[in-house]
Amino acid sequence: MPAAPSKRVKGTQIRRHFLIGNTAHVLPHPGFPDPPPDGHTKGWTVYVRPLPNGPDITTWLKKVQFKLHHTYADASRTIEAPGPFEVSETGYGEFGVEIRLYFAQESGEKAVYREHYLVLAPYGPDDQRARQERENKIVAERLETIEFNEPTQEFFKTLTSEDQFNWLKVKKGRGKGKKPDYIFEGAVEPTAQLPEKAMDPGQAGAGGAWSVQYERQVLAQLQQSGATLDQMIEEEKRGMEERRRRLEELGVAIGAK
Amino acid sequence: MATGSDIRAALASDFTPTVDPLRAAPTPTAARATPNQPRTRQPRLHKKPALRNRGRAAHWTYDTSTPPTRRDRLQVRQWRRAAPSADSTDVEPPASKFAKYDVKAEAPSYDDETYAQHLNHPDWTKEETDLLFAAYEECNGKWPVVVDHYETSTHRSMEELKSRLYSISATLLNLQTPMTAMTASEYSTYEVLKSFDPLKEASRKKLAEGHLRRPRNEVDEETVLLSELQRIMLHQQTLDSEREDLRRRLQHPVADQNGYQYSTSQALTTLWQQLLAADRAKKTQRLRPLEISGSRPSQSAASIADATSATPQTAQAVDMSKQDLLRFGVVQAQEKLPTGISFASDKLSKPRVAKSSLQTDKIAATLAHIGVPELIPLPTPAVVEQFERIMAKMQTLLDLRKVAEKEEQELRVRSAELGV
Repeated sequence: MPAAPSKRVKGTQIRRHFLIGNTAHVLPHPGFPDPPPDGHTKGWTVYVRPLPNGPDITTWLKKVQFKLHHTYADASRTIEAPGPFEVSETGYGEFGVEIRLYFAQESGEKAVYREHYLVLAPYGPDDQRARQERENKIVAERLETIEFNEPTQEFFKTLTSEDQFNWLKVKKGRGKGKKPDYIFEGAVEPTAQLPEKAMDPGQAGAGGAWSVQYERQVLAQLQQSGATLDQMIEEEKRGMEERRRRLEELGVAIGAK
Repeated sequence: MATGSDIRAALASDFTPTVDPLRAAPTPTAARATPNQPRTRQPRLHKKPALRNRGRAAHWTYDTSTPPTRRDRLQVRQWRRAAPSADSTDVEPPASKFAKYDVKAEAPSYDDETYAQHLNHPDWTKEETDLLFAAYEECNGKWPVVVDHYETSTHRSMEELKSRLYSISATLLNLQTPMTAMTASEYSTYEVLKSFDPLKEASRKKLAEGHLRRPRNEVDEETVLLSELQRIMLHQQTLDSEREDLRRRLQHPVADQNGYQYSTSQALTTLWQQLLAADRAKKTQRLRPLEISGSRPSQSAASIADATSATPQTAQAVDMSKQDLLRFGVVQAQEKLPTGISFASDKLSKPRVAKSSLQTDKIAATLAHIGVPELIPLPTPAVVEQFERIMAKMQTLLDLRKVAEKEEQELRVRSAELGV
């Protein structure tokens, strides 16, 4: 008998950022079997990770299932909490990895699918490609925001408890019999929002490149595009005016004929 | 009495009997059919009356004459019946029965000084003009024959010949009886002669020939198009008004704020209060304070339910400090939350897909043109909002373009109408 759905917190939405992506290296590369299996030229890792300064992802994500290409043995790889939700393999072809996210019990939600296209070749503008080739590391990841609409009350409680940030904090004993203190010693305050500045741009794979700064860049670019679009609309409007005038002229001329 | 046979018998035996013409000989076929039997007369099956001369034989004469309608002196020998009775009119050669059909084409004639005065033309010499008139008379005014007959060094088309002849006729007619003195029929003839346009005629003939040689599917296509055109012409009025309507709608100013935030009574009251306050500040007050607040929220034509516009409700369902809310990523309610789980990046990808793949392509092309990347990796609320604004503008642009195409078409049709 399925449990009766518990009361939901009305009118609230909880957002969590997380990263979906993959890294790829040209073999041979440390961390991958050597010599590589026949025909496999690249080693890659596909993953689902939290923001480096964010709350623990295992609060809401209990299990991840990666569905690889059917030519792989064991095409369906399941990773359970807490382990890092990632799958490393070797291969030669790009394909779409279907990722199934299973949520915590108290959320009462069904699993959802996301897709990630595995990128193995250098991409992007020329300098980026050069850098990728030089370092022998390709990172293709994107920030996803999952929104829990009207969560159940228990879920809400877990998602708003301070314990989520414990994984970033350092345990400091307070003495016998007392609960240990968790003190944050890192540089950036843990929060569910994006950090102000990119934490660690070098470690692109660990999600350090995401920041409010980057957000501003993206916004600026979009605004520019919006401006171009406005111009185009203006042009079209002018054209329309011109055409309306001509239509009228011709209409009069035809009527006079 | 001595019969023939007796006399024959008495004569010498080298007497060979000839066929007696008086005695009707048997028909040759019968003789041939029975070669072994001697020729005998076949019995007649029907009574044929003996040939008798009913009346006097008509008298026919065989003489030569010249047909009256010919210009050359052709001598023709014909049997002609002489008049059976004396009171008939003179013998007419049969050929003259047809003389009444010898209708000549009338072409005006001119003399040299008239030509020098009025009929000069840069492309035509006098000899050519004379030749033309002669050919016309000769060929009885049948133009296809005239064209063949008329041979000069320069090759002239039928239309050129016609135009020259008609223009000369018109001028001569004009000279004979000035325009004011012409009768109605003369005037109409004059008008027709003057308004001969060789180019138009040539193109008309080409068109007719093209029409003749049309394949079947072209005919069908043309019928369909004509019916379509008729429909359009009939509904010209309604189409124009519809176009106006569309134009008006497109130029409607797009609201940059979400109108949905004002649809609860509480929000409406606050809006009303704001407007009232603003109005009081102005010199001339236009609003009158009412007991009941009631203006409908402005419905923007291109509003998408913006989940990110956060107008905070009065009662907070959750008791948390603002900072904590941010820290844990809790967002207070918007108007309508989708149930279950949703992803922010969907808001960046779903609007790009339209109902038809053609539309999707157009959208993708325009987005690429203005520099929006295919995959936006950062779907924060601000980015999502910006993107939605861009998509709204994009829709307007595409609508404008569609209208532009239709109007261009209409313009082309109308100017073609004028040109024709």
